[in-house]
Amino acid sequence: MSIEPGRDTGVRPEDGGPPENWEAPRERWLSTAVRPAFGPRSVLLEVVARLLIPAILTFSVFLLVSGHDRPGGGFAGGLVASMAYVLRYIAGGRHELAAGIPMRPNGLLALGLLLACGSAAAPLLFGGPILEVFTATATLPVFGKVKFASYLVFESGVFLIVVGLVLSVVAALGARMEAEEEEAKAERLRSRARRPRPRPAEGGNP
Amino acid sequence: MNTLLAVPFLVPLLGAATALVLRRFPRAQQIVSVLTLAVVVADAAVLLRRTADGTVLTSQAGAWQAPLGITIVADPLAALLLVVSSVVLLVVLLYAIGQDIGGLSRAMPQVFHPIYLVLTAGVCLSFLAGDLFNLFVGFEIMLTASYALITQAPTRARVRASMIYTVVSLTSSILFLTGIALVYALTGTVNLADIAAKLGAAPEPLRMVLALMFLVVFGIKAAIVPMHFWLPDSYPVAITRISAIFAALLTKVAVYAIIRTQTLLFGGDDISAVLLWIAIATMVVGILGALVQDDINRVMSFALVSHIGFMIFGLGVGSVAGVAGVVVYLVHHIVVQATLFLVNGLIRQYVGHTSLRAVRGLTTVSPTLALFFFLPAMSLAGLPPMSGFIAKVALFQAGVEAGGWLVHLGIAAGVLTSLLTLIAIFRIWVRGFWGTPMPDMVEARAQLRSGANRGALRFMTAMTGVMVAVGVAVAVAAGPLTDIAFTAADDLLDGTAYVEAVLGHGGAS
Repeated sequence: MSIEPGRDTGVRPEDGGPPENWEAPRERWLSTAVRPAFGPRSVLLEVVARLLIPAILTFSVFLLVSGHDRPGGGFAGGLVASMAYVLRYIAGGRHELAAGIPMRPNGLLALGLLLACGSAAAPLLFGGPILEVFTATATLPVFGKVKFASYLVFESGVFLIVVGLVLSVVAALGARMEAEEEEAKAERLRSRARRPRPRPAEGGNP
Repeated sequence: MNTLLAVPFLVPLLGAATALVLRRFPRAQQIVSVLTLAVVVADAAVLLRRTADGTVLTSQAGAWQAPLGITIVADPLAALLLVVSSVVLLVVLLYAIGQDIGGLSRAMPQVFHPIYLVLTAGVCLSFLAGDLFNLFVGFEIMLTASYALITQAPTRARVRASMIYTVVSLTSSILFLTGIALVYALTGTVNLADIAAKLGAAPEPLRMVLALMFLVVFGIKAAIVPMHFWLPDSYPVAITRISAIFAALLTKVAVYAIIRTQTLLFGGDDISAVLLWIAIATMVVGILGALVQDDINRVMSFALVSHIGFMIFGLGVGSVAGVAGVVVYLVHHIVVQATLFLVNGLIRQYVGHTSLRAVRGLTTVSPTLALFFFLPAMSLAGLPPMSGFIAKVALFQAGVEAGGWLVHLGIAAGVLTSLLTLIAIFRIWVRGFWGTPMPDMVEARAQLRSGANRGALRFMTAMTGVMVAVGVAVAVAAGPLTDIAFTAADDLLDGTAYVEAVLGHGGAS
């Protein structure tokens, strides 16, 4: 079941959703109406996911910007950020995965590759070797003295590549297989409904 | 200088990203890929011109001086291989585009183009890497792309083949990484030139262990006996364009890595003897395998394994002439293997398969095809005016000059292998090309030639013809090629030019 934003989900209490005049959050993500990727729904996992995902994403950005001369960087940041999406997928199933990504994983990969290679090649235009770093220091109102290195562009590219790669792996190995399984299940049900059983079952057909 | 050295791997990566963005526009994707490879060919040609006299060009990435930073190095060997590889990559790409336009392949072009360009970047980076770790990165880029490419148009057989291929390659990658860690523990550096300078102080047995370890690592990827078993199982199953590139380039990049590590880092009589024995085993076992196969692609794959032995032999001889012979052989072999696999692709197009049991009379079906098979096949066997003859004579001459019973045994094995190659080719020729074609083959040809695919098929045949012509050009240009090969071999065995260019301050602008 796919949930489009701005449409009433029509969830009734007997489906396990909230009661009708429940004050539901405006955010549609991790809606209680969707099925998780594996096994039965877990309220604990859903709540924890909601609490953790913003924190994980913020932490990934912290890793990205602090990585120039301290531990972290685009690769670590990208892995952490993609874990937020994987958590969301595990808690909410494949529809949540598709809804949670700002663009398709392929696009993320391409954009990241362009950023990384472009910034690696940029110093060539000024006669320097590839990957040469330019730095600038500025004093910002809140953050104080901030050092900006052109390396950050490269790292952002790496960040996007890692996120794109993890998401496309999850999409290919998790979400697509899940969709295929669902299709096969529906097909089985349909063929069972079409073909009358030779001996009527006691419990009746669902 | 910096730009020249960065283009071969940066431009294909940028091209791959652009091709990924343009995946809904097949024509634009094709143009981007062709332009990218054309730029790489031009760049490689300039690099070869600059290094032909033995100059070693370097570029220090990020302006960090070697041995701390990443060094990109182009010596005559790397530049020569870059030129040949990029030309082969370009021609195979055009062949593939022709096939796609005609709708003659089940490959997914929108996936193929970006990954093919990533593979190009990996191959180029492997040739230009100035440190062990970047060599590893180049290999991994190339191999990761190849894992994706080998399952293009997936069938049961292809998925099975790709499993073997992936597991074997990953095993060798893990060994490679372990080897790098050991070298780093021993010398405190991963820069090739720096290792070369520092490894001399290490105890002899330790150096021997490391040399053998790297020989195993690259030997798996180069498919030398006894680590060859995976190749005839995986390469022939992939679609034509992929098997052509794999057969032409992937094993040869590994041979390049063997040459680089064994000459610059290690070297010595003990390793020579090992190399010679491996060479003899590879030549004989490979070609005996080729003699009993019933599929043209599989015959060619076993022949590929067997002829890797010739290159290892030249390296085992170890003289300047021997290594120069290896360089000539590398160039010849890249071109010939690509051509033969493209021809097999055309046969598959006409007949639907390449099994010798159900192919007859190909000469009648398409005389052009027969000619395009005959020329590179004779070159592979080493018949006189072809490039194979020149390469083999260069190797055997070097062997006779060097002397020693083991080397002579190697020469005998080489001559025997050439004869057996000839027999393997005649088996294909007699069974597949002679005789009256089967009725369904004639029908298939009529269908192919009358349909809308006619132009596409012609284009593919023309591209195969271009590859044949490149093979002939290698033979015609044997003089200058041998000169460059000797310069490269001098550089490789001496090593001082390489070490000075990297560790000195030359070239860093």
